[in-house]
Amino acid sequence: MAKLLVVDDEPNIRLLYAQELSDEGYEVVTAASPHEAVQRLEADRFDLVVLDIKLKNESGIELLQRIVKERHTLPVILCSAFSCYKDDFSAWLADGYVVKSSDMQELKDEIRRVLAKKQKAAAAGTA
Amino acid sequence: MDWECCWSKEEIAPEECPYIGEGEEDLYGSHRRRVVEKCVECPRFKNDLARLKGSGHPLSEVIPYILTEFQEQKAQMGAMLSFLNSKTREIKFLREVGLVLQTSMDLDEVLSLAMTAITAGKGFGMNRAFLLMTDKERRNIRGYLGVGPRDYEEAWRTWEDIGRNNFSLKELAKNFQKTKLNSEKVKFHDILNQLTVPLSDQGHIFNRALLSKKPILVENALNNPDLDRGLARILGVDCFLVMPLISRSRRIGVIIADNCITHKPITLQDMQSLETFAFPVAFALERASLYERLQEEVDKQKLANLKMREQQELIVKMEKMALVGKITSSIAHSIRNPLMVIGGFARTLLKSTPVSDDKRSYLESIVRETRQLEDVLSEVLDYSESLFPVMDLWDLNELVATALADLAGTLEQAGIVWHLELAPELPMVQIDYKQISYCVKTIVSTGLSTMSKGGELRLETLVDGDGVLLRISDSGKLLSKKAQEALTAPFYQTQEMGAGVGLSLCKTILERQGNTLSITGRPGGGNTYSIRLLTRKENI
Repeated sequence: MAKLLVVDDEPNIRLLYAQELSDEGYEVVTAASPHEAVQRLEADRFDLVVLDIKLKNESGIELLQRIVKERHTLPVILCSAFSCYKDDFSAWLADGYVVKSSDMQELKDEIRRVLAKKQKAAAAGTA
Repeated sequence: MDWECCWSKEEIAPEECPYIGEGEEDLYGSHRRRVVEKCVECPRFKNDLARLKGSGHPLSEVIPYILTEFQEQKAQMGAMLSFLNSKTREIKFLREVGLVLQTSMDLDEVLSLAMTAITAGKGFGMNRAFLLMTDKERRNIRGYLGVGPRDYEEAWRTWEDIGRNNFSLKELAKNFQKTKLNSEKVKFHDILNQLTVPLSDQGHIFNRALLSKKPILVENALNNPDLDRGLARILGVDCFLVMPLISRSRRIGVIIADNCITHKPITLQDMQSLETFAFPVAFALERASLYERLQEEVDKQKLANLKMREQQELIVKMEKMALVGKITSSIAHSIRNPLMVIGGFARTLLKSTPVSDDKRSYLESIVRETRQLEDVLSEVLDYSESLFPVMDLWDLNELVATALADLAGTLEQAGIVWHLELAPELPMVQIDYKQISYCVKTIVSTGLSTMSKGGELRLETLVDGDGVLLRISDSGKLLSKKAQEALTAPFYQTQEMGAGVGLSLCKTILERQGNTLSITGRPGGGNTYSIRLLTRKENI
């Protein structure tokens, strides 16, 4: 079972992610801030991070940069209410980009795609 | 002694002197004036003197001396009077012309007056005159205007007209400016074109006149080996006057005057009179030229100010729009998160609600309405983002092909056949790629919504003057004029198309970048959406 870390400052959104993604068969852990996310990442092993960009007084992009630097094999999907960040080159470091929507099908598809890609890369690395 | 002449009579009858003419009748009774004005030149008086000499009277010897002296003095006085009269006329004429020259700021008025004064009988009476002026760069002296008849026929016609109308010089000049100046400017084009001389050519007669600040009278030019015959050949005369025009030591130009029709010799007095006239003309020409240049600068300044004001207004408008964009964006984002939570949980609940549950329809309503609100929010956010375009040079053919490839799945699903007709070697367009791509996709989607299954779509690119045209034609239902207008007004609802900002946003995006969007219905059915993009842009 793939383990996902969801980072969002909105408690209801964290709850929604947890509910929907658990239903998809993932193990979901949530964090309300980049600081909490770092603690979770240090304490556990994750297969993918779903990361909001605009967090209270903090930037998800900084956390993304830190993850890429320290855990370059851990894929990150940015999930933001802002579609404009898609064109921001700092967001290009992420493996996927989804605009927040009540219909979470796009996010679910994206998670599946990124995890499959990761698995393929891992298989190629061990082969 | 009986005298032949009436000199001895106090008063005479009209038949006694045949030399008293009409209007001189008072001489019959005025003895002294009759003797001084008539008798001294009368042949009968001379006969009487001869008879007196024969009589041996001592006075008869000296009277002829006195009379000769008297006649010489009288002739001199007459010549002097005539000279003074001509000078008085000249002064009057110069004063009249001078007044206009001193006050006029209009180059055409100055030119008309100066050239009329030189060529009119009431002025200096020359047959023809050419004005040559130094150019703005002060490198050459160039032919500017020629005035006068080209041949005898024209000369007589003109002079007859002038004689009939009896205009004053000022009236003649005004008439000339109104009716003839423009045609005269081109009449002697052939001659004027040959009269360009560099100011550095110090040996040329024009420059010699300018350097010496004196007029030069050229006579017998065609047969004089010391003179440049070229100029005489161009002018077609062998006697002409070159008059320098100098104002405050600045070389303004020269006037060439000649009598090409009458071949009347140019006298020293003509030369002196023209020289007196040349100074105010030069001064007036300089002032009028400077004023004209000043006006040009003022006009340029006005235009620059207008442009600056427009730019300022545009900046203010942009700032306002940017503010509106920021506010809209902020509100939209604040709404998006709660909407996601509401809609998301409604979907979660819906999944676990049995189909038979009465309350399921409520959840379905929440999901549907939330989705609709999210769509509106996306459009609003697209609109606010469109206020900040990122301009670059792009290949429109590539953009159209890519946009259509993105929509290929949707088109295939709807059974639409599409054709791409892309012009080869299309110039690059300066656009925000993302925004124009959005426009193309939105137009294709709009076209799609008007077509029933199995329609046809055509996308063409072509060069259109200084721009590039993209035409998207569908085979869908013909849109009414009202629907066409409604489509480009934001959030305007139509029965045909529903509500939204799609095409309105496209129109805003395109127009903000100086481009255009138009929709036309084709008589055979279907609609054509034309996007015209400029290949070059001013700063927008």
